[in-house]
Amino acid sequence: MPEIFIDNIRYEYEKPGKVLQFMLDNGMDLPFFCYHPSLSVPANCRQCIVKAGMPIFDKDKGTFETDEDGNRKIRFFPKLMTACSLDMADGMVIHSHVTDDLVKQAQADNLEFILINHPLDCPICDQAGECPLQILTYKYGPEGSRFEHKKVHKPKAIQLGPRVILDAERCINCTRCVRFTDEISKSRQLTIISRGDKNYPMTADGETFDDPYSLNTVDICPVGALTSADFRFKARVWEMNQTPGIDMTNGKGCNTYLWTRDNLVLRITPRFNEAVNDHWMPDYARLDYKKYNENRVSRPHLKLDDRDQVKTSWNNAELTFGEELDKVKGSDILVIGSAHASVEDNFAFRSFFEQKGAESFVFLPHVEPGFGDDLLISDDHAPNSNGVRALGFQEEDEKSLAKRIESTKPKIIAILEDDLLGRTGLPGQLFGESYTIIWASNHSETTRSANLVIPVTCAAEHAASYVNVDGRIQRTVPAKETLYTNRRLNLEMSMARLDHYGTKFDNWVSDDNRVDCIPAWEFFSRIPSSQQAERWKTSREIMEAISTRIPVFEGVSYDRMDDENGIQLEIKKITEANTV
Amino acid sequence: MVNDWKSYQPVLLPAIKDLHEISVYEKNGGYKALNTVLKDSDTWSPGRVTDEVKAANIRGRGGAGFNAGLKWSFMPEPDGKPRYLACNGDESEPGTFKDRKLFEFNPHLFIEGAIIAAYAMHVDAIYVYIRGEYRPFVKMLQRAIDQAYEKGYLGKNIKGSDFSVEMYTHMGAGAYICGEESSLMESLEGKRGYPRVKPPFPAQRGLWGRPTTINNIETLANVPLVINNGAEWYKSFGPDSHPGPVLYGISGHVNRPGVYEYPAGMSVMTLINEVAGGVRGGKKLKALIPGGSSTPPLRADMLEGVTMDSDSLREVGSMMGTAGMVVLDEDTDMVDVIWRISHFYHHESCGQCTPCREGTGWLEKTLLKIRDGNGEMRDLDLLLAICNRMEGRTICALADAAAWPVRYSIERFRDEFEQKCKKTVYAMA
Repeated sequence: MPEIFIDNIRYEYEKPGKVLQFMLDNGMDLPFFCYHPSLSVPANCRQCIVKAGMPIFDKDKGTFETDEDGNRKIRFFPKLMTACSLDMADGMVIHSHVTDDLVKQAQADNLEFILINHPLDCPICDQAGECPLQILTYKYGPEGSRFEHKKVHKPKAIQLGPRVILDAERCINCTRCVRFTDEISKSRQLTIISRGDKNYPMTADGETFDDPYSLNTVDICPVGALTSADFRFKARVWEMNQTPGIDMTNGKGCNTYLWTRDNLVLRITPRFNEAVNDHWMPDYARLDYKKYNENRVSRPHLKLDDRDQVKTSWNNAELTFGEELDKVKGSDILVIGSAHASVEDNFAFRSFFEQKGAESFVFLPHVEPGFGDDLLISDDHAPNSNGVRALGFQEEDEKSLAKRIESTKPKIIAILEDDLLGRTGLPGQLFGESYTIIWASNHSETTRSANLVIPVTCAAEHAASYVNVDGRIQRTVPAKETLYTNRRLNLEMSMARLDHYGTKFDNWVSDDNRVDCIPAWEFFSRIPSSQQAERWKTSREIMEAISTRIPVFEGVSYDRMDDENGIQLEIKKITEANTV
Repeated sequence: MVNDWKSYQPVLLPAIKDLHEISVYEKNGGYKALNTVLKDSDTWSPGRVTDEVKAANIRGRGGAGFNAGLKWSFMPEPDGKPRYLACNGDESEPGTFKDRKLFEFNPHLFIEGAIIAAYAMHVDAIYVYIRGEYRPFVKMLQRAIDQAYEKGYLGKNIKGSDFSVEMYTHMGAGAYICGEESSLMESLEGKRGYPRVKPPFPAQRGLWGRPTTINNIETLANVPLVINNGAEWYKSFGPDSHPGPVLYGISGHVNRPGVYEYPAGMSVMTLINEVAGGVRGGKKLKALIPGGSSTPPLRADMLEGVTMDSDSLREVGSMMGTAGMVVLDEDTDMVDVIWRISHFYHHESCGQCTPCREGTGWLEKTLLKIRDGNGEMRDLDLLLAICNRMEGRTICALADAAAWPVRYSIERFRDEFEQKCKKTVYAMA
């Protein structure tokens, strides 16, 4: 196997590649700005420089030349090389800043250059706390700058497009944003204008940066030059918790991070998953965070005598639910599952009503043909269509659902987490003669028309799994507390500095942001034993049950999903389940 | 040293009236080399043409001085897909203005050379990248190309042979960096002029990802001469290591600035004092920038016995470059000159690589400070430090081109720099 010597340690490598990526893969640290593993290599920031050389081969003898100690003689390249663009070669010797003072000095020199025209306003800059330039300057930079002239001033706060704002002064010309629009989103809306230290990224005259993936450029900008119009100056990263999540707006199931502070989700950013979304996600999915904070159903709601809904106690809601169920036969219940809810909730939902003797289990997929693109947006607006199919819910469309309700006249319609009326255009009076119960996290037309509304946790508040359009099951972790959970007690929840060290009396903490809701599965576990409900303590337990009972989910567990960043299910089996 | 320069008869720019007309050019032996190559293709196989050019040791006239034939030989074997020749006529360096003379007075010599080069490298299309500011010369060149098409020297099955090649002109939009070969390719492809990382080299992956060779206009103009007269004849001009006729563009403080054709290896002092009529106003010579603004300046006392060829100039610490000689007299303020050169490189840095983007500006600002009388002694060390941090740390050579004049001026004219800096110290005291 070919070998490479980095800082006097021998490594073997299988596939040819670039030195920088190999070093990163092997846990070595090297500063860089322009390099991004998913973009082309321009080698323009010149920060990842190393000293590289090759052993001298004696063609006549057929051996490598050696010195007195028997070590191979190395001929170093005359110039320092950028590791990002340097191809590995058998026997290559690399000296990084760890072993070579010249390289160390060169890296500091380069940072001195980068900083001469970059405003040093870290306390104000929106990127502070997650700025590679800030971090790498502390690690590799010079102690000060000798630049004593006036800095180049470039335009500030330019609205490049509806979602991205540029502060040209901070740009260090890494061209990641330009390459992203050239190579990934392919909108080619950005270019560098002007020359030398006056240049910065810009759109063509009269054009706006409205690429549906524009906010990815904000993520990959290594300084605070590109900022999100939505998130700008809203919060500092060190105040926030960063929790892994899944995009709930699309069937692709982009992996995300939910950023929370004081129990509000303030932004969503992509999380790397090579099998799903690489480093990217669409803009509209990021702006979805608002629904985790706003318009939430808090406390159960009950319609009294066909009048307005009133808030009621959990005890009353559970009793009312039990009483209504007792009035009817299982065959009089229409159970509508949801592609917007998790596998666990749909499973608990189904198994509860199965035990009650219900026979009709349906769901309405949320597909808009032509909505998707070739990148990360699919036609499916729901995160879990495949999951619901796999659980045996029958797929219906608006017409067939309306026909079914009109013909069978169910006495109870149980709807899980789906704004059926709001999104389909079905008439409200369709449910008129039935007692409608909905488990919902947000208010909608459907919740407003329901007789009983049970508030349930949203994807930001529970641990649950979802199966994407490609049949990959991935899970979420709670990012927000509800009235009944506590960050310090829940081991799955991440904690920021303020969670660790803050007190109840800090003025950034407010209890108002905790919603009075529970996971849908938990509701069914709470129903008195006379109703013969299956009881669950955690969603993890439900997934264990699912994996043993439903063949498609065989071998699926939270631990495996965590370790493997989601599990690819046999998509064929899901289709079969659907046809049953 | 070339002794008989006075009897030298120009071959690149011979004194023939209306030589830019194809009929006149043909009457004076034009396109003979191309006809020879195409008619006698058994003798003049593409490989043989390349070998002859390699043997003649035509050193690239664009600045780097690489053996043109050797460069051609880097092209891979033909695979049936397109291959290109890009002709670099984007001369934008201060002090360099020779290609325009070829476009104006002898465009067919260059066109013929380019076609022969295309033949030798199995090229399908020739692009002439020409400086956008050269609008009249673009018209002249295009006229010549049209004439060559009419006469069947370009296009399909040239002169009844199997060889076909097309030729296009492409006007630059005005950026110095586009004269750098890889930026030139980016620009030709319709993109922003940014240098490309090497490897891959243009012969491996050039225009639109296909094998490409980039040659200077003057380099290609030498090719028909080599084919017509042989490598040995060509090498009889000037030194072996750097032979052939050279277009010397002499500017600055001389009585007769202009483009002069003489063999390589001419004495620098002969060129200044006799060819260009000596330093203006009878003043003393102070300095010479021998090959365009990026080449290290030389002090007058370093020029004794120096000739215009790469070896001799390297010995005294400079380069042949484009042979665009900038002559500076005793009244010249070197700080001012170097500041002006730095201003140019600061303005023209493409901004891709950090050391060049930031370094060129820093150099200019610091030189301006010294020029304006606000310099301090430590600024000189700072300038040298900035040069150190720029040289060899970027994708292309623009950073080196910007750093060398500063570094060597401070080394060679340190008194002058120090004087400016000291003045401030006294004034402040």
